[in-house]
Amino acid sequence: MRLLSYMGQWKSAAKEVLDRTAIVAKFLCLLHVTNNYLCSPTLVYGPSMLPTLNLTGDVVLAEHVSHRIGKVGTGDVVLVRSPVDPRRILTKRVVGMEGDTVSFYVDPMYSQTTVVPKGHVWIQGDNTYASSDSRHFGSVPYGLIQGKVFFRVWPPDGFGTLEQ
Amino acid sequence: MVGLVGRLWNLQYKSIVKEASGKALAVAKFFCVLHVTNTYLCTFALAYGPNMVLTFNLTGDMFLAERLSIKFGKVGPGDIVLLRYPESPRKVMVKCLLGLESHSVTYVVDPMKSDRRDTVVVPKGHVWVEGDNIYNSRDSRQFGPVPYGLLEGKVFCKIWPPKEFGSLMKSGMKDPDL
Repeated sequence: MRLLSYMGQWKSAAKEVLDRTAIVAKFLCLLHVTNNYLCSPTLVYGPSMLPTLNLTGDVVLAEHVSHRIGKVGTGDVVLVRSPVDPRRILTKRVVGMEGDTVSFYVDPMYSQTTVVPKGHVWIQGDNTYASSDSRHFGSVPYGLIQGKVFFRVWPPDGFGTLEQ
Repeated sequence: MVGLVGRLWNLQYKSIVKEASGKALAVAKFFCVLHVTNTYLCTFALAYGPNMVLTFNLTGDMFLAERLSIKFGKVGPGDIVLLRYPESPRKVMVKCLLGLESHSVTYVVDPMKSDRRDTVVVPKGHVWVEGDNIYNSRDSRQFGPVPYGLLEGKVFCKIWPPKEFGSLMKSGMKDPDL
């Protein structure tokens, strides 16, 4: 008799756990879809985008719509999967689109000019002295762009859109 | 009288809307699951064209490609992979992976014109892909090694035509170094 009542209690507890888990799962699903297809916050750090982004780390919002509809252009700060290490994502500025002619300094006295091939972009960090970018690994295929950064959320005194 | 009819109509309308939104939610949940499976587990695609003639037919075969191997770095030479075109980010192609980073790959530069071979070391973070049909395939011999980040999936099973159904672990290509 007591066993039956225990089983009844257990069943209702299990059902409640399942319901709560389903709610959490649905929420995570929604979060995931928003993060991948709409907008996501990202922590970016490193010296390569000074003075636009800080060394110690900024939280920025990146939107994932523009690169899918081809609206990424020169001057945009983008998140790009590194062609050298596929597990890292870099934050750089697009300096040239396909077909553009790009001049860059390999060392202070010697400059080179290249044309960006079809389907590729040329990315550079704003801090050219401390950035590993297209000047080192060449143009990057457009397909590696993950999102476009449009807004800074942290630190609070940097809150707002990024300067061009 | 009018009030009663109005109330009845409201009730019916509400229940219709409730049922419709319930069904719509179920459909949306189903698509969500389908989408997550497609993006993170397994996807299917149609391959056509002459460049993988030893493995796929000219007119088109359907196959399944899984995405876990790519994310965990478990692809190697001999695998058939699905990857984005470096030149057109919206197009996807199917090729045979011949070399990972720091592998030394020997390839025939232009088989229609000569037998000249060239050797290249695949740079860090890149892979070398070639089609089975080297006479008619646009691959790493033309556009160079491809960044690993452009790989989308590893082909493991052909599902159409039905008489060719089955697993496709390594391509039908002979040893490329011979």
